[in-house]
Amino acid sequence: MNEKVKKNKKIILAVLIILILLIIVIISFSTQSKNGSIFSSKETLNILSGSENQVLEPILEEFEKENNIQINMTYEGSVDIMQELQNGAEDYDAVFPANSIWISMGDTHLKVKHQQSITTTPVVFGIKKSVAERLGFVGKDVTTKDILEKIKSKELSFMMTSATQSNSGATAYLGFIYALLDNPEVITAEDLDNEALKSDLTTILSGVNRSSGSSDWLKDLFLQSDYDAMVNYESIIIDTNKELVAEGKEPLYVIYPKDGLGIADSPLGYIDNGDQGKEEAFLKLEDYLTSDEVKPKLLELGRRTSYSINFENSNPDVFNEDWGIDTKKVLNVMKMPSADVIKKALNMYQTELRKPSLTVYCLDYSGSMYGEGVESLRNAMNMLLDQNEASTYMLQASPKDVTIVIPFDDQVLDVWKAEGNDATTLTNLQNEINNFEPQGGTNIYAPLVTAMDEISKYNVADYTTSIILMSDGMSNSGSIQEVMDKWDSTKLDIPIFSITFGDSDERELQELADFSKARVFDGKKDLEKAFKQAKGYN
Amino acid sequence: MKSKIIGGVILLLVIIAIIVYQFINTNKPEQITVTGYLGGEKIGLMEDEEVRKILKDKYGLTVDYTKAGSIEMVEQDSSDKDYLFPSSQTALELFNQTKSDKLYKSEILFNSPIVIYTWKPIADALINEGIVEMKDNSYYIADTTKLITLVTDKKKWSDIGVNDLYGYVTIQSTDPNKSNSGNMFAGLVANIMNNQTVVDESTVDNILPQLKDFFGKIGYMEHSSSDLFEQYLKTGMGAKPMIAGYENQMIEFAIENPNDWNMVKDQVVVLYPEPTVWSSHPLIALNENGAKLIEAMQDPKIQEIAWTRHGFRTGVSGTINTEVEGFYGIPKTINAVIQMPNTNTKQKIMKGIK
Repeated sequence: MNEKVKKNKKIILAVLIILILLIIVIISFSTQSKNGSIFSSKETLNILSGSENQVLEPILEEFEKENNIQINMTYEGSVDIMQELQNGAEDYDAVFPANSIWISMGDTHLKVKHQQSITTTPVVFGIKKSVAERLGFVGKDVTTKDILEKIKSKELSFMMTSATQSNSGATAYLGFIYALLDNPEVITAEDLDNEALKSDLTTILSGVNRSSGSSDWLKDLFLQSDYDAMVNYESIIIDTNKELVAEGKEPLYVIYPKDGLGIADSPLGYIDNGDQGKEEAFLKLEDYLTSDEVKPKLLELGRRTSYSINFENSNPDVFNEDWGIDTKKVLNVMKMPSADVIKKALNMYQTELRKPSLTVYCLDYSGSMYGEGVESLRNAMNMLLDQNEASTYMLQASPKDVTIVIPFDDQVLDVWKAEGNDATTLTNLQNEINNFEPQGGTNIYAPLVTAMDEISKYNVADYTTSIILMSDGMSNSGSIQEVMDKWDSTKLDIPIFSITFGDSDERELQELADFSKARVFDGKKDLEKAFKQAKGYN
Repeated sequence: MKSKIIGGVILLLVIIAIIVYQFINTNKPEQITVTGYLGGEKIGLMEDEEVRKILKDKYGLTVDYTKAGSIEMVEQDSSDKDYLFPSSQTALELFNQTKSDKLYKSEILFNSPIVIYTWKPIADALINEGIVEMKDNSYYIADTTKLITLVTDKKKWSDIGVNDLYGYVTIQSTDPNKSNSGNMFAGLVANIMNNQTVVDESTVDNILPQLKDFFGKIGYMEHSSSDLFEQYLKTGMGAKPMIAGYENQMIEFAIENPNDWNMVKDQVVVLYPEPTVWSSHPLIALNENGAKLIEAMQDPKIQEIAWTRHGFRTGVSGTINTEVEGFYGIPKTINAVIQMPNTNTKQKIMKGIK
């Protein structure tokens, strides 16, 4: 009897459990369409973003924690973002460039939705206050042309990002064209063929001592160097000034040209690849970034939030009037020309007007590169040297560029040169790279010394000069000291960029970048992209 | 005994579970998701939670969309879509000309006049110039001809006393070849240039050079009215002094963002051009599911929400009966309306501007 009751109880218990499970299944099924299953895993958002949004990371991290959503930011230049959208952007869930123009020019597949401007910040000139005063730019309306005159007459040295790689550079460059044409109603394709304009632009751009692929990094470079001025976002000038003041240095004075440059409207848009869970996660993120809770944090970063007017209650230490920052002023904006004219202007910058590049690639052909390694390397170099391919990323060579390749293992193996952008010359260089086979040990220092010797043969003032070192392992001979000694003795201020690959020692490469004011690019995941980025800085 | 009670409880639970399951499944109609191309200006309406709820609960419809310009969407491949929801008759006519075999059903659901969005200092200057006038102490009307003449005469902002702004007076619009608000605006400007009479195939060639010049001066043109409107609000008077848009855009913005509206309402100005053009919003069904959406969107409650919360005029004449809460400056009727040019003329205009 007892036995039977026990047995019954067990059956009842089992039935009950099955029932409860059934109910859970029904409930979860009926709600699945709305919220996804209750057993769903953590949602991930892959965001393709401009580098100026790097400062938002702490704000994004809070969102990640609160919502159990993971955010992966990939930083690329504006042109690359446009390109990626044109290719369908399958690997990304959202796009966050500096200006909506890159989305509207790139979104040919019509995949972007829920697009909303998160913050705005104007592109401005930041000039050392003493210099601005001396030039008569303080306390009155200044036009872009007034500033350009001072640059042309070498009374003002300035920095800007590459027009073909970064939104702030592109905006400034188009602003220069608009000013040099005496502020026409709109810039036309015919205007760009004007020889006087081209010669003025060439003169002005020759004064840009080192360009950069990203607005954020331009700030770092500016802080390490001694220039009078830079063109950048108001928010980045604010950020720069905070650091300058902390170091006891003179802050930059912000000039909003009367005829206008541009405004970055930082649009965030969802890329619809058909995943509802991601779409919901995205909307949560967008709501969060535009919420009253987050707005003050964005204001602290020097970003303008909410609407163009009634921009009040901003922290006077951030939007500091002593720095020339004026939140009441009507921000005039140059009218953007049509898409065709923008493309033509950017191509002209890349192949004709910019200061020519003198780039030395030191490429690791040591034994460990054998097989896949050297294949990836060849692909990356072919992408840059094949002018058709390079043009899709606006990384073409100009007739005045000089490209030098130094293959090395534990010693320098050869020196290959290509002057100009002639197809045969560049193809020959590609053939050398493609036919060379890796072997031997590694010495990353010897080729750098050779590179500097090669550079010394040119009139460096005429070029944007750089060394790009790519290595897959630790150096087992040579020392950084010889490189530093050589660097000091040449007095040429040559940045040594590095690209990591395989087991390369980041510390060694970072040391080189630190003393030469350059940076290290991660090629471990995507070597081609790292080469593209490094080239974009030069 | 005890086991009997437990057995009874289980039976009851099973019955409840079945009832709950039945309830969930029968109370709602069969659920389908319809996908299509949507004009940016109607995103707010289609994202409206109450509208989504009515569509889902009453009609079993979940609406998914891809934002596209009205003209762009009829030119795109739409074979995997259930509907297109442009904002113009022209888009529908273009669709009929090129893909009439794909058309399942269509119905004009909303109307909205083209307006000019500008800023208080500019509106004041225009009043001084005798171009704009305030009616009933409530809304602004603009003499379309005089306004457009400012642009064609190459007047500078300083010429009309707006000294904060640099350069020439312009009215920006979306790309007439991609988006409807720009397309409608091009039709309006063409009519004005044709001595305020509707331009047709015999007269269009006379005004094309002038029209091309007018739109050429805009420079970069956005593809979507919602993007242009957002930039107008976010980047301000120096970037977007005057833009052409739909009447509903500001009404919707005011209702959806009351706090933001309070911040900007003394600065933004809606100019009602006289004459203006009507933008009609036809919903084009490409299959039976699309047709279900047409039926559902005609639900009286949705039609009411469309006006009171999103600013789309719904009656045939576009006359409105209810005031929009918190918003002022809306004329009850739009009287001075000029016809859009016919489709062939329109295509000539679009080609001419390209």
